[in-house]
Amino acid sequence: MKVGVYLCSCGTSISEKVNYDAIAPALAQIPEVAYVHAAEFLCSEEGKQFLADDLTAHRPDRMVIAACSPREIENAFMQVAGAAGLNPYLIQIANVREQVAWVTEDAGRATAKASTAIRSAIARVCRHEPLERTELDACPDVLVIGSGPAGLKAAITLAEAGRNVILIDKAPVIGGLPVRYEELFPNLECGPCLLEPVMGEVMHGEHAHRIEILTLCELAEVKGYYGNFTVTLRQSPRYVDVAKCVGCGACIPVCPAQVANEFDCGMKSRPAISLPFAGALPNVPFVAYDACLRSHGEDCTLCRDACPVEGTVLYEEAERPIERKVGAIIVAVGASLYDCRELPALGYGSLPGVYTSLEFERILARNGPTGGELPWRDAGEDPAVAIVHCAGSLDERRQPYCSGVCCSYAFKFNDLVRKKQPGCRIVHLYKEIVAAGKEEFALYQHAVHNPQTRFVRYSDIDGVRVSARGNRRVIEYVDSSGRRDEFTADLVVLCPAIVPAEPAAHLHRILETVPDRFGFFQELHGRMDSAQSKVRGIYLAGTCQGPMDIRGASEQGMAAAGYILSGLAGGKKLQVSPVVAEVNQDVCSGCRVCAGVCPYKAIAFSSERQVSTVNAVLCHGCGTCVAACPAGAIKGNHFTNQQILAEMEAIFS
Amino acid sequence: MTETAPLAHVSCEPPAPYEPKIVGFLCNWCSYAGADKAGASQIPYPPNVQVLRVMCSGRIDPEFVLQAFRKGADGVLILACHAGDCHYKEGNYRAIQRHRLLLRILGQFGIAAERCRFDFVAASEGEKYARVLTEMVESVRALGPLVLER
Repeated sequence: MKVGVYLCSCGTSISEKVNYDAIAPALAQIPEVAYVHAAEFLCSEEGKQFLADDLTAHRPDRMVIAACSPREIENAFMQVAGAAGLNPYLIQIANVREQVAWVTEDAGRATAKASTAIRSAIARVCRHEPLERTELDACPDVLVIGSGPAGLKAAITLAEAGRNVILIDKAPVIGGLPVRYEELFPNLECGPCLLEPVMGEVMHGEHAHRIEILTLCELAEVKGYYGNFTVTLRQSPRYVDVAKCVGCGACIPVCPAQVANEFDCGMKSRPAISLPFAGALPNVPFVAYDACLRSHGEDCTLCRDACPVEGTVLYEEAERPIERKVGAIIVAVGASLYDCRELPALGYGSLPGVYTSLEFERILARNGPTGGELPWRDAGEDPAVAIVHCAGSLDERRQPYCSGVCCSYAFKFNDLVRKKQPGCRIVHLYKEIVAAGKEEFALYQHAVHNPQTRFVRYSDIDGVRVSARGNRRVIEYVDSSGRRDEFTADLVVLCPAIVPAEPAAHLHRILETVPDRFGFFQELHGRMDSAQSKVRGIYLAGTCQGPMDIRGASEQGMAAAGYILSGLAGGKKLQVSPVVAEVNQDVCSGCRVCAGVCPYKAIAFSSERQVSTVNAVLCHGCGTCVAACPAGAIKGNHFTNQQILAEMEAIFS
Repeated sequence: MTETAPLAHVSCEPPAPYEPKIVGFLCNWCSYAGADKAGASQIPYPPNVQVLRVMCSGRIDPEFVLQAFRKGADGVLILACHAGDCHYKEGNYRAIQRHRLLLRILGQFGIAAERCRFDFVAASEGEKYARVLTEMVESVRALGPLVLER
């Protein structure tokens, strides 16, 4: 063993307290130490050049540097070592500046502490092993699950950078929820106007050839890991050939069967073969099979007969599995709304005229079930709308968080209702008002300054009761000062909490992602890495991670794309750090304690050999499994038991 | 005038105070950074703690702690990220669990709980780091050297 020791004085920063001259001779006496060299500013360009030359001249097989914090300079010295032919993992830094010279008042004791730290580093480095980064071939293609604003922006960003994207959506049309909203907060932009150009880019823009859009398609299985996923998708039959259909719509009016239109929340029906709303993309009708007469044994062929392009309507089409290889997956499956039937006093589902915000969006839309007309029943001279905020949100018994977007769309409703029905009374029943942001205040101000709009703060949603009186609704409440009151309205709009989408739990199982305590997809870090899941190679965007507006979802989509473009560069291999855990399969007893403590799902179990294995691509090198293994079968590279114990024992020798 | 010579066989120097030897296991991301922060802020603290850096407090094998006491440590300090701040999400929770277990084992050996302190130090908490170290050194100093029966 030939350890080269470098003592950096850092100008006088270290040498002011640490007397290297007093300890260097003793260090040189350590059998493994080949030499002890002094330096002044080892981290400067000149210092690094000196180090490189010195390493080349003396060829030590280990190096210890006494200097500042390894958190600052370890990487730089690893590079110098590597370039000089010394494996970068065969070095150890003794932090004698931040943790000795700068914090110890007595110079003698500082020198003694530095000496111990350097001896520990020497003992440790003697047990270091040369480690190499490994490189893996990686597929640069990406699967995007969900085609709302988040998925669309992710897909187009990746395609513009030259990546192949598979964009899937379980719905027969793309665009997610906002494509069904006529106008959007905060500026009353037209939803389709905002989204259609993006969808147009994705479907037939300059880079569209790189995006494979699969509608009616869900993720069934995932194998492999970051850079090398094999995904199995399951596509339900549309019964209409997307490639052949010209979108003329001739099949729609001839269809004799009707089905409740789920895109209008079931408020209206549509033919069994149809598009769910005007402007839906792709502009290819689809068949709701259960409603089609053929599913009831009738030999109806009216739609096929009406189709001008032969072979477009395919009654024989069946569900098909599709397999693709991708390097990364973006989850952008969106969210759902809290089921307001869980708040029975509000009358949703039992009283007419009580709607969720999503239903109300469709009612306001001209391509919706009422053609944009408000469904007044018997409003007479005093039409009124009650908007109940925080239905399920900010509620310890339901969803404790604020859903963030409800106030903004409620104020949008305020404007839109007044436009359709000037003079209409609107009452906002709320728990809290949230309208943060540089644009959101405008709609709020419109509502606040409108004499027909009233704000009532209720103390508890369970104290709000909606009942019928003739054709009208009566809303009773207890306000925040404890006063009971009531008012009459015709329409009641509930703003339900945003909750995880139903398929989230299923996807967590397939992707091995982790749900947060509400069931949303948990981010790697809520602020610094919010577009990454805890599983490397699986990214998150949009409301699948929590309540978010369109702007947030679009940004997250692009952020996820950014991670992939930088981490999974096309034509480059995937770099895998050697500082990971490794299981000695001869010692592993198969207890799987390790897999239970791994935060990154990096440990798999081989049922064939009954042992655990660590996937180096997924491992972050924290070492929690190493400490947890009861058999001592796991080695934490670069932080092995032997290395840590040697470093510790040297303190006492 | 007569000079009184000091008595040759009685030292006027007070005896050197007992200096405990303490091993500190610090996670790389919060606590070690907090220690560096104390350095950058030049907050003095006693030099009795020799620091061992691990990537995560979850890496700290209870065996390391037992071994430290066996080899001559008078105290062991385990510092981790605050709850919810762990760079690796949950490693600090494992460290907390293991520390609780360790205290029970150490109790069976007759080693006082004060000799094995667990605390949270964030990357920004240079002052707290210096305070925790000072307290630790003082509490172990008060206990005196650890004598293990063999």
